Amino acid sequence: MSYLSTIDFAEDDAFVDRFHRAMRGDLDLSWMQAGTEPVPCHPQNEWRGLTLRDLDVGSYGFTDMPELIRENRSFAPRGAVLPAGLPDLQADVNRKSEVWAYNVEGYYEEAMTRQWNATTDIPWAELQHTELPEDIGKAYAQLLTFLTEVEMIATDVPAKWMGRLNADFFEVKNFIATQAMDEARHAEVFRKRALSTGFGLGRASGHNECNLKFLRDADSFAEASLTLHLQAEGMVLTLFRFSEYIAPTEGDKKLFRLVMQDEARHVGYGMQHLKWVIDHFPEKRELIHRHLDEAENFVFGAGYATEVMEPFIILAGKGLGPENIRQGVRITAAFQLKQAEEYFERLAKCGLPERRERSRLSKFVEMNRQMVTSL
Amino acid sequence: MAVTFPSLAFFEALQREMRAERERFSRLGFFDTTFGVRVLAEGGGRPMAEFVLAFEVFDCVGTRDGLGGAEPDFVLEGPLAAWREMLDTIHALGAADTAHSLNTLTHFGEGLRVRYDDPDGHDKLYRFAESIQEFIDLSARIDFTYPDGSRPPARREPIRRMEA
Repeated sequence: MSYLSTIDFAEDDAFVDRFHRAMRGDLDLSWMQAGTEPVPCHPQNEWRGLTLRDLDVGSYGFTDMPELIRENRSFAPRGAVLPAGLPDLQADVNRKSEVWAYNVEGYYEEAMTRQWNATTDIPWAELQHTELPEDIGKAYAQLLTFLTEVEMIATDVPAKWMGRLNADFFEVKNFIATQAMDEARHAEVFRKRALSTGFGLGRASGHNECNLKFLRDADSFAEASLTLHLQAEGMVLTLFRFSEYIAPTEGDKKLFRLVMQDEARHVGYGMQHLKWVIDHFPEKRELIHRHLDEAENFVFGAGYATEVMEPFIILAGKGLGPENIRQGVRITAAFQLKQAEEYFERLAKCGLPERRERSRLSKFVEMNRQMVTSL
Repeated sequence: MAVTFPSLAFFEALQREMRAERERFSRLGFFDTTFGVRVLAEGGGRPMAEFVLAFEVFDCVGTRDGLGGAEPDFVLEGPLAAWREMLDTIHALGAADTAHSLNTLTHFGEGLRVRYDDPDGHDKLYRFAESIQEFIDLSARIDFTYPDGSRPPARREPIRRMEA
């Protein structure tokens, strides 16, 4: 208990006297003279309900929020009067450009309405009657182990930053709160599915975890977002779509469709954040490239680790026979190519078209393209 | 009376079915995208029909013939045979099976392809994946024929997703 009040309220005469007077009906009512702005707020679309965008009005809005938040250092909601005596929470992130994204309020509303339940929305009873062959079952359990590892860190990262953002970034804080919930649900559903295959969990991945540690230990929220939302989740989104493609049952397909929805939303935030940064602070371009240089090194090591890639080959080829393996390698290589292509497409759309040339992943893409052609 | 696939009447019938399932689509969440459907003639790859489907909040708010002037987030494109194979499966089973979900058919462009200019628009196919799949699965309820007059196979199993 390192933070102590400077006042002992029970012994403070002024505080106790004010309390007694209020309880006798002598109300102070000074808070009624706050002088804040009365604004009309109505749903623009009654079917949609009252959204955060409908609240983007006057001093409560986000459109006119300044780049530097100098005044509010507390928990005070944006637009409230800030009386003397509010604590300085020493938020780590007080620059709008570090966190803001076009349409962040829309991503939040979408997240709130598209929540699902890992316990009741997956046809577990149907899946229980599906027996997987041993090679497929073990490969699938290993894939699910890897995905559970990934989703646990993806829960930790937004949760770590949530309390470090200035309270004025209300819409971003709320969005990353939904992300933490989404990722926790993903870790839950992958763990449940791994155990329900009857093959249990597989092996943790050292290479993967080094990449996850890199994501967790980013020096700033902007770095964390760039590598988590845009790079890692972008690649995981392609991976979820590939996993839906190779999923052995209809129940598993539904599972991957539900997780891909959440992941695509997080990628959307990541893209719109990077666009915001490039549009407003083009001087940050080189810093972004340098961070991606290292991030791509980690992601290459994690994505192509034996215990990550081999399950894909077995699942894509539907077995361990030589022809299955050949087919699995061909399909997995095509997936890896697609994954890298979509990553570069997104960066180009955000304003970094030169990344494709600068990235060391490009060499791998070319190597993979030649391999796919020769198979 | 049977409608034809591909035709605007087919997608209007899907729109009506979606409105009848408003509660279910509300549970799936906001569904905000506009996408195109392009059916290619066999052989030459020439478009034989194109449609725009617009979704907002929990509803299909617009269906129209042709892609002219539209700026869809993405376009689902494929030969009539690929669309037919998917719709036949849905009609027979009540919902797509593992080989015929939209993601599976489009992932490597083996059955259908996804065309897009903007990766953000492209990602909406995945942001709303379950809503789009369930919308397409509603075709199991529609009485329709193909241009050659043939019909999709009769249902072998009860409709799964919507009546479960």
